[in-house]
Amino acid sequence: MDTPHIDHLTSQDYDHVYEPAEDSFLLLDALEADLEFIENELKPVVCLEIGPGSGIIITAIAKRLQNTICMACDINPYACRVTKRTCLRNETHVECVRGSLTDAFKPNAIDLLIFNPPYVVTADNELETSDKFGECTSGNLVHSWAGGKHGRRIIDILLPQLDHILSAKGVFYLLLLRENKPDEIMEQLRQLGFQSKKFMERRIPGEFLYILKVQRLDS
Amino acid sequence: MKLSTYNFLTSKAIKGVKVGYPLKLTIAKKDVVETEFNPTFIERLLPKLDWNTVYLAAQTVDLADDIPQEQPAAVADNEELLQRLHHLLLEIDVLEGQLECPETGRVFPITDGIPNMLLNEDEV
Repeated sequence: MDTPHIDHLTSQDYDHVYEPAEDSFLLLDALEADLEFIENELKPVVCLEIGPGSGIIITAIAKRLQNTICMACDINPYACRVTKRTCLRNETHVECVRGSLTDAFKPNAIDLLIFNPPYVVTADNELETSDKFGECTSGNLVHSWAGGKHGRRIIDILLPQLDHILSAKGVFYLLLLRENKPDEIMEQLRQLGFQSKKFMERRIPGEFLYILKVQRLDS
Repeated sequence: MKLSTYNFLTSKAIKGVKVGYPLKLTIAKKDVVETEFNPTFIERLLPKLDWNTVYLAAQTVDLADDIPQEQPAAVADNEELLQRLHHLLLEIDVLEGQLECPETGRVFPITDGIPNMLLNEDEV
């Protein structure tokens, strides 16, 4: 899987969307390592990335999986536009939708779901206070990283919806930080009817990251 | 927004909305982008789609004569129909327009090909 060109993005863009970093590259590496499964077993008809930011991940997927409808949904309008630009730069196509998580999509349609969530542990009121006071976070960017208590604010909203999001054979790749308590999340997933495993993990300065691979228990 | 994507969008997240599907599509500006025809992929895509909404999309772009109102039992051998579906679902790109919730009339604008489905806090 080729790493997409991102030389069209400027520092002004990174004032509004998350700049690809170690976490993005871990997610790319995990997807690449699982391509054999994705291409030959899963054969996704529909792929959705939640919160594409710069669009680097969904663009890489779209470029590789020619026979998959690739979609991206972001709450940040700037991210939707940047993702389109990243696709153009890399001569591929992703359908971009502005919305919250998967609220805008009809149920049980997604075969391949990807999410690098806002996972940083923050005070739960970070979003409110930063919007009022924080110069550098006064736009959309804070939503890309501020995760609330245990960094789980958004993750905990999404997980109970998973049964209605994924298709029967659907697979979900989720990036987590050790502070998000991955073992607790895996147990929660089991109770929701999903099996999960730590598909890849990586220590980076100051953080320990995981990629969870999640599938239905009966799949 | 391709018309295949239109088939996946709903307004069900609005408080009080029961189905929120299909949305009413109005097109102000569209483009046609030629893409490689893969009949097998169209066949695999069809079970994911709601046929009534495929037909609605065809009506919206004046291609209703190309698409049967009822889903045919088998499409595998019907290369001509698969080609038409390919054009309708994967080549027509809506740039400007709107989607409307069938139950509440809430309008979701489509700008530069991006539908804005985000709801306000008091709507969910």
